[in-house]
Amino acid sequence: MHQNVLRGAPLAKRMWADRWIYLFLLPTLVLVGAFTIYPVIASIWFSLLDWNGFERAGAFIGLGNYCELIADPLFWNAFKNTIVFLLLAVPLRVGIALVLAIVLNAHFPLVRVFRTAIFLPVVTTAAIVGVVMRYVLDPTGGPLNIALLNSGLLGQPLNFLGTAGLALYSAVGIWVWKWLGITLIYWLAALQTIPRDLYEAAALDGANAWDRFASITLPLLTPFTIIITLITVIEATNVFDLMLTLTGGGPFYATEVIDIFVYRQAFTSNVPRLGYASAAAIFFGLSFIVLASLQLIVLRKVRARRSH
Amino acid sequence: MSISKTNAAPVSGVSRRTLLQGMAMLGAAGLLPGRSFAQDMVTIKWWDVFQPLIPLHQKIWDEFAASHPAKVEYTPGNPSDMMQSLQLAFRSNQLPDVFNVPVSGIAAVNALQAAGWFQPLADGFTFDKPFQKEALTEGFTNFGGKPYSFPIFSQRQTATSLWFFKEDIEAADVDPEAGPASWDEARKAALAGTGDGKYGLILPLQFGDRMRAHLIDLAQTAGAAGEIDWRTGDYAHASQPFLDAIEFLMSFQKDGSLHPGSSSVDARQGRARWVAGEAVMFFDGPWNSGVLNGSFADQIDLIGVTGQVPYPVDQASAFNYRGPSGGTFYISAQSQHPDIATQVLQMLTTDDYYVGLAERMDQPPLDLTAVERANVHPTYKKVVSGYQNSVRLAPDPLARNPAISAVYAEMRDVTPGIGEILQGAFSGAFSDAKPILQQYTDSMSRERDRAIEVAKSQGAEVSLDDWVFEGWTPGEDLTDNY
Repeated sequence: MHQNVLRGAPLAKRMWADRWIYLFLLPTLVLVGAFTIYPVIASIWFSLLDWNGFERAGAFIGLGNYCELIADPLFWNAFKNTIVFLLLAVPLRVGIALVLAIVLNAHFPLVRVFRTAIFLPVVTTAAIVGVVMRYVLDPTGGPLNIALLNSGLLGQPLNFLGTAGLALYSAVGIWVWKWLGITLIYWLAALQTIPRDLYEAAALDGANAWDRFASITLPLLTPFTIIITLITVIEATNVFDLMLTLTGGGPFYATEVIDIFVYRQAFTSNVPRLGYASAAAIFFGLSFIVLASLQLIVLRKVRARRSH
Repeated sequence: MSISKTNAAPVSGVSRRTLLQGMAMLGAAGLLPGRSFAQDMVTIKWWDVFQPLIPLHQKIWDEFAASHPAKVEYTPGNPSDMMQSLQLAFRSNQLPDVFNVPVSGIAAVNALQAAGWFQPLADGFTFDKPFQKEALTEGFTNFGGKPYSFPIFSQRQTATSLWFFKEDIEAADVDPEAGPASWDEARKAALAGTGDGKYGLILPLQFGDRMRAHLIDLAQTAGAAGEIDWRTGDYAHASQPFLDAIEFLMSFQKDGSLHPGSSSVDARQGRARWVAGEAVMFFDGPWNSGVLNGSFADQIDLIGVTGQVPYPVDQASAFNYRGPSGGTFYISAQSQHPDIATQVLQMLTTDDYYVGLAERMDQPPLDLTAVERANVHPTYKKVVSGYQNSVRLAPDPLARNPAISAVYAEMRDVTPGIGEILQGAFSGAFSDAKPILQQYTDSMSRERDRAIEVAKSQGAEVSLDDWVFEGWTPGEDLTDNY
């Protein structure tokens, strides 16, 4: 009724009529603008500057930082490490959590204890996990190496974090362990949405456990799979705290992901390069959007072909 | 239920009006005399990363506050993030009055000076003893002919003395008083000390800057002038002395005498594990005496140290070289009290201060003779007195041609650096370090060429010849060619 009366009225009049809506929206708009939109726009501007951070402002150099970035092998090393991390860590975390959720969705003794035990690392600070894991994985006296040596699985201790070819995989393992609990909760919530009577009907029709999983559980979990995977992918690109305390990006850049590369350029170099660091962050963000868009396009085409 | 006005006030016996009047009077009392007091009392904000020196400096600041209407408000910083704090403070006009710049190399100091971070020491500042005058150098402590800062530490020092448990070294048939002076002896002692969960040596491989310092120190005892060959002006990272030094360090891993945890420790963690008895030996600077004395006092008398950086073959030709050093503390350009800050800094130039500095057993004081007068542990005295015989003054192009500051200010870090390359060699990232070192050398040369061209385009009179010191002779101080 109110909308109908104002339809066709001048914009200012309509805004004044809805002033309370705008007033209540204002805090959100201010906060999102200050802490999300402004930093993104500022980063884009910084990426066009040659700025060592010591001066109040940098000099405009256009796309100079981007040109240098494309020729920087250490940037591409960090880019590759981030993608490898994603490709390994996301399927592992989503897959293992799904299996555990199906197991822990059943009713058996101590099921709550198991769920809690898996969730506990989630509430532990990632930086602390990084520091503690350095001791757990230590080649001399670390409990993991002692266990592997005592069980006879290893003849010599493994330097999980100090060997260039092993460090990234060790970091993937730790990250998956640390965040497994939260994905488990997502899956458990998703499993609760599947009606029990579907399983009962399938059982009456003679379907075995695998048939029930493949024909009921998996198809009904598909929408959740997409969102859980998306959330996990986003989280897998934000591993700065864990990686910094675990390896600092080393040894010899073997675990340097984009976050660490940006941090190194912006803060830990003798002469910082804020513009270059911003360019790296923006470039990676854009590349990620392009990759995600390509994935969406391919998915749509595949679906379209299937529907035909 | 309701509370009447008459019930509320008598609880404390004070009416609301009386309370408000009292608060107003208190506020006025706080504002008036306090305001004049605050105006008279100047606060000098001071940030640095020298936590071991806090007791010494606090005593000086207290003395200063007792005789001047000024006090120092100190904030300790962490070396790893101090520069981030300073950058944010600079951009928000909140730089402390006095601060130190915890970065390696003089390039960052020149970049900061170019960006207008510092202001000169006030006119009354004196620094005129012979060893003090020698320490003031254009481009390092002075800019435009004016002193901006001064070093409190001697430039004659290294970070690579070999510290060891005397008992283990004696068991390896090495003199526990002298310690493993040569590379062969160090390797032999490490091998003999390895076993039963103990290793010969632990290295702080995760601390790139420290490993870089170790490599340069060791390469110098093998014949390198430093990162630059002063006779040609070329970068020397891929030269034979550097390759020999890498081979020496890698030999511990090859022998199985290197603590496997080396890859994940920095200097502090490495030192703690060494002192805990996990390794026989540890490379460190003179400050190790101070740390041991403070945190591991029950162990310090079990420990010995070599009088100089271990050398490959010939002690007579094994020297280390150090160029002029920058200042330790700077007065911020944003400071409103440069006169008072200078007066406080002046108190860090006295004979008593140098003795007090020596007694903190950190880096050696600018006046090395103060160590003889100070009450210090024998290990500290041995290391520092060794510097007088084995550390020589190196040339630096900036000291000869102040215009080089424009080049240093323009030069960017080249990565992977020396510390990371060492880390890579130990972690198996590559099997041959030479091509990586050559790549680093080439990149450094290209970066220097680029910076020279930029500096020239801005009017600086600089050239590659500024890096060539034909008069440099190994084993001798070079002070008169600037």
